[in-house]
Amino acid sequence: MIPYLVTYRQRRRNGRWLRLYIPVLPALLVLSPLLLLAGLVGLVACLAFRISPAGALRGAGQLLCALPGTRFEIQDGRTAVLVSVR
Amino acid sequence: MNEQRRQILDMLADGKITADEAERLISAIEREQPESPPGAGIRPKPRPKYLRVVMNAGDDAGGDGSSRVNVRVPLQLLRAGVRLTSLVPPQALTRINAELDKSGVPIDLTQLKPQQLEELIDQLDDLRIDINDPDNKMQVFCE
Repeated sequence: MIPYLVTYRQRRRNGRWLRLYIPVLPALLVLSPLLLLAGLVGLVACLAFRISPAGALRGAGQLLCALPGTRFEIQDGRTAVLVSVR
Repeated sequence: MNEQRRQILDMLADGKITADEAERLISAIEREQPESPPGAGIRPKPRPKYLRVVMNAGDDAGGDGSSRVNVRVPLQLLRAGVRLTSLVPPQALTRINAELDKSGVPIDLTQLKPQQLEELIDQLDDLRIDINDPDNKMQVFCE
């Protein structure tokens, strides 16, 4: 299952939090023209480097589906960054 | 069939004990260990799903606070990443090997198969690294 929500939180030096909640599917839909372009570039790159495009697509899909549950939380002094994929 | 029952039947087959003795022994075993319903045996340990890296560093002299790192990566993500390595073309691996060799790291990446890497990830289940320092603490484990 692909991730549905990416949360980004950042605490700035002044102590205020920046919170971003990115719903993945709507974001993908909005960015679909760019994704199409990126897919074409990827296809050309696969052919140029003699990589199987189907294998690359499958690998990217597996990577995307494995993302839910990932969490990165880094805090250093008053600065903190949290990235969470659900 | 458990091991004790098998031993008794082996002894009966070898003629070391009579059928009556075998029956008595089996009855005694059953009294000691009542038959458990199927599926109620020892539950296998649930397989870990995540690789965790937790680090807590104390405040350095002159610093403005402590540092903390908390990373949780699904093991499935590691597996997917490992599978991607199979897409690396052989000529690229040859060039990487040459560069590694030039840097004094003589590792032949062409000998590293994705299956071996997957086995390595499978064996991460029992991995636990604890580094304790008076000011810093780091843990790497699977959960």
